[in-house]
Amino acid sequence: MEPNTMPSVKRQSGSKLFSTWTNYIFILPIILFMLVFVLFPIVYNITLSLQDVNVYNFKKEHHFAEFENYTNTFKDPVFYTALRNSLVFTVLSLVFQFGIGFALALFFNRKFPGRNLMRSLMLLAWMLPVVITASIFQWMLNGDYGVVNYVLQLLGFINEPHSWLSDNGTSLLSTIIANIWIGIPFNMIILLTGLQGMPEQLYEAARLDGASRLKQFRHITLPLMKPTILILLMLGIINTFKVFDLIFIMTAGGPVNSSNVLPIYAYQLSFLKFEFSQGAAVSMIMFIILIVLAVFYLRMTSKEEAQ
Amino acid sequence: MMQMPFRKTYLLTLVSIIISALFLFPVYWMIKTSLTPITDLFSTPPKFGLLNSTFQAYVDNFLKNQDMLRYIGNSFIVAIGTMILTLLFAVPGAYALARLSVKGKSIIMILLLAIQMLPGITMAMPLFIMFSKVQLIDSYVGLILADMIHALPFAVLILRPAFMALPKGLEEAASIDGCNRFTAFARIMLPLVVPSMMTVAVFCFLFGWGDFVFALTLTTDDSVRPLTLGLYRFIGQYGTEWNNLMAVATIAALPIIIIFVALQRYVVGGIVAGSMKD
Repeated sequence: MEPNTMPSVKRQSGSKLFSTWTNYIFILPIILFMLVFVLFPIVYNITLSLQDVNVYNFKKEHHFAEFENYTNTFKDPVFYTALRNSLVFTVLSLVFQFGIGFALALFFNRKFPGRNLMRSLMLLAWMLPVVITASIFQWMLNGDYGVVNYVLQLLGFINEPHSWLSDNGTSLLSTIIANIWIGIPFNMIILLTGLQGMPEQLYEAARLDGASRLKQFRHITLPLMKPTILILLMLGIINTFKVFDLIFIMTAGGPVNSSNVLPIYAYQLSFLKFEFSQGAAVSMIMFIILIVLAVFYLRMTSKEEAQ
Repeated sequence: MMQMPFRKTYLLTLVSIIISALFLFPVYWMIKTSLTPITDLFSTPPKFGLLNSTFQAYVDNFLKNQDMLRYIGNSFIVAIGTMILTLLFAVPGAYALARLSVKGKSIIMILLLAIQMLPGITMAMPLFIMFSKVQLIDSYVGLILADMIHALPFAVLILRPAFMALPKGLEEAASIDGCNRFTAFARIMLPLVVPSMMTVAVFCFLFGWGDFVFALTLTTDDSVRPLTLGLYRFIGQYGTEWNNLMAVATIAALPIIIIFVALQRYVVGGIVAGSMKD
């Protein structure tokens, strides 16, 4: 059943390929791929952001526009709306994903029958294609027949049905709720793995000293979990900041930009208004923000590894 | 008093079932809606049970209307293509980064980590212009290559530690047996990392199957569009026929649910390894 096993064993007479250049044959495909499909597009994006390419002059010669696209971006009020929404989306998503994820991790860290099954079942939310999640939440949050309105009315939280997605005040919130749902299992699994690696003796010693559960959590769990927590949060910030599909499908950034975020703003410029250079500038700004965050992340992982 | 711990653990089980059921309610609601006749869809209060269930929405969308079948086929081609090509590129690369002397290893690793963090939309625009020039718009190859941008770094990050964990001197032992560098890799090393390759395969399939950004930006024609985009366009066209929409969503979720049930341990392993290791 091993597909990689060769059918016959050929003996080689002395001529072993031990020169180091053969090592590069292994790594060449991946390097070529990265050069052609990652580094080249990024460099292309940078040059695009410094030119004046749009749908009208797409096929003609382009002119160097210096930083005009960037200054235009910083003059556009929509940019600031999108930036603010991106921050709100990221912070609120993370706080609740992490908070609820941590609570569930502590719960599932206790030993009881069926805990592995129940824990894994929840992962389904994280694995579903985002388009599906987005359409489910669209239906559940539907203003006329959505089940969320029904339950909230039943519990007395609201008096009449609310159009969650088409109301300026709740459109961003709706996408945040869907995103929290997606992120909870991921946070839970990572934190649970961290918790399960904790030395049991420490807790026994603490119990002998009469430390309460809360004290054990504050003085043992939290300090020991700190590296895991930091990396998880940093990864969460990076992944949440770039969420595009969920918001695009649920609200497309509307109504009137009330749920517009930076990735959608960049998409609108490039693919709806065909202002390619302007879109490239916005996506470079986003890229720079993410690179700064990534540097923090890389530092943390290398520190974690050094320990 | 002696009975307490026993009872308490089952109480915890009960609580965990309630939590999971509440948490997964949206998934239940998707399946339930897909089985609801259109006349019951807009009843107040909504019906929570599965009474009056009908498969009409499935018959209408997958048997009478064949469009969806093409979308499904396209999704499989893109997902499996991403899976195979990623493994072909990543396995030798990860092996070299783990066990062979290659210059610039740390730079390559840092680049791979950084690439994982790129927003899809940042890549979509330059790829769109690049691909228009070489006729890769509206092609499976274009979509697969785009999906590989995120799948490849992930694959290397999972596979490299797996190769590193193998005992030292394996290659030397193989060379004594007459293997050269390539046969040692193929015959000795590869079979030992099959579990990690499974993890990578599962996640690459998930990436390819779930991709939306590249399907949206790099296709203009229905002939290659995957199911994610089919579902999205469906939302726009039949915005109020929620039973039809949810039937399509359920079918789109089905391969994921099957993979999830059958290959769960690879999924859990991949999530942890992919985010915590270097």
